[in-house]
Amino acid sequence: MRVKIDGEHCTGHGRCAKYAPNVFILDDDGYNADRSNEIDVPAGEEENAKRGMKSCPERAITLVAE
Amino acid sequence: MNETRADMEADPEVAPEVLKARFGRDIARDFDLDDPMFNDRFDEVLTFMVNKCPISYSKAGTGYHLVNTNEQVRRVAQDWRTFSSAKGYMPNRPEGLPYLMPEESDPPMHTNWRHKLNPHMSPKVIATYEDVIRKDCNVLIDTFIEKGECEFISEFGALLPGWAFFKNVLGVPIDDLAMLVEGVEQGTFALPAEERPAHMARVFTYLDTHLRWRATQPKRGDVIDTILEGVIYDDGTEAPWDHKVSILVDLTFGGIATTTFVMSSAIHYLAMHPEVRQQLIDDPSLIENAIEEFSRVFPPVIALGRTCTRDVEVAGTEMKEGDFVMLTWGAASRDPRAMEEPEKIDIKRETILHSTFGVGPHRCIGSNLARLELTATIEEWLRRIPEFSVREGTAPVYVTGFLRSMRELQLVWPK
Ligand code: HEM
Ligand code: SF4
Repeated sequence: MRVKIDGEHCTGHGRCAKYAPNVFILDDDGYNADRSNEIDVPAGEEENAKRGMKSCPERAITLVAE
Repeated sequence: MNETRADMEADPEVAPEVLKARFGRDIARDFDLDDPMFNDRFDEVLTFMVNKCPISYSKAGTGYHLVNTNEQVRRVAQDWRTFSSAKGYMPNRPEGLPYLMPEESDPPMHTNWRHKLNPHMSPKVIATYEDVIRKDCNVLIDTFIEKGECEFISEFGALLPGWAFFKNVLGVPIDDLAMLVEGVEQGTFALPAEERPAHMARVFTYLDTHLRWRATQPKRGDVIDTILEGVIYDDGTEAPWDHKVSILVDLTFGGIATTTFVMSSAIHYLAMHPEVRQQLIDDPSLIENAIEEFSRVFPPVIALGRTCTRDVEVAGTEMKEGDFVMLTWGAASRDPRAMEEPEKIDIKRETILHSTFGVGPHRCIGSNLARLELTATIEEWLRRIPEFSVREGTAPVYVTGFLRSMRELQLVWPK
């Protein structure tokens, strides 16, 4: 599974890292450290990643590949 | 469910005379956030609006639109170029109220400040306040636990957020807290609204003085020093003193005026639902999720505004340049288009989507602090007072405008 984090729309709600701490990491500002990038979701973390995506109030994380 | 203005106009349930009979006024075309009916029938009105009125209108003062669905609120909140914060977040803003930074500004000025301030409010930094906050929960509980009763707002709910903010963020003793809480409360809710600026002025003067004093002191490397250091705007000018004071006012406002409501509502809910209380006592790891759900359904910031910088269409409604638009966070957080059974309060929800802390670049900078205060409160309260209920014959007292707050909550427990 591969996801993209929108660089403009991530505004640091931190929900993604709460639900999927092994997938999404926050930087020192509390924003998604991989914003503007695509990342691979480690095997076994798909469900957590989806919960993180669905609870992002900005819809800043989108699916690139299942 | 209606998606556009046209759907709404064609829906017999939203006909003006039907609404007047049901709500006493046409809440689709003549809504008023300050109507006491909204205060009394809060959940019913929000649920009706999000389902039936993707956009509603208020004729109060110079009038404003309300955007009510999850998707449209997000779209408007993210599009700061079209929907500007620079003319303020309050509809019918009273004369003489100074604008608050960063809330009432747009990028790039807004971004300059957020870059400076964010590192002080990140989850990592906020986590270092946990011990102090937890201890304060217990200090407060100690003052009334033996009595077997308390008035939750004045004895806990209105104090803890102020203590947390004063001690950890402002770095000052809590002696002047009562005066500031009163100033903020009156500055927000006082009627007639013309009285509000005078109350706000007290808060400004106090914080201005504090900032001046700190400028003479050795640096502590905290958020106050960061504000004093200031920012350089994109045009090369330095942020003026007024902007620095207003940053501090905005932080103080957020710091003491909002968290109380989520906290009090959560405690009220737990007082009324022993079975949920038991679930949280049996498995405290559910508390964080419960806090998210409580934040979703008990929003202290019902709606905040933007000003259209050009003519634009939202959900089939034409808006003109200069029109004022409220983003109804409270309605967007219970949108059946975006979540299942939004009217149900379920602390075990798999995913919780809400806009209680706003959406877009102005996302609440205090959200991490608020969440920590809420989690610490519920954990410590349930540990110390696992069994409690609302005093018989009493019910919470609410006050609602664009903010919602609880004025009184009487609790009792076995001594
Ligand atoms: C449950 C508690 C809280 C809620 C529901 C809440 C809600 C909000 C909302 C909805 C906004 C968005 C404003 C907009 O879009 O125009 C906001 C912004 C803000 N909040 Fe909070 N807030 C809470 C607690 C706090 C705390 C504890 C602080 C301070 C420590 C704080 C400080 C601020 C500031 C400074 C802004 C302006 C941010 C900006 O414009 O960039 N808030 N808050
Ligand atoms: S939840 Fe969304 S907005 Fe928040 S940090 Fe994660 S990606 Fe960014």
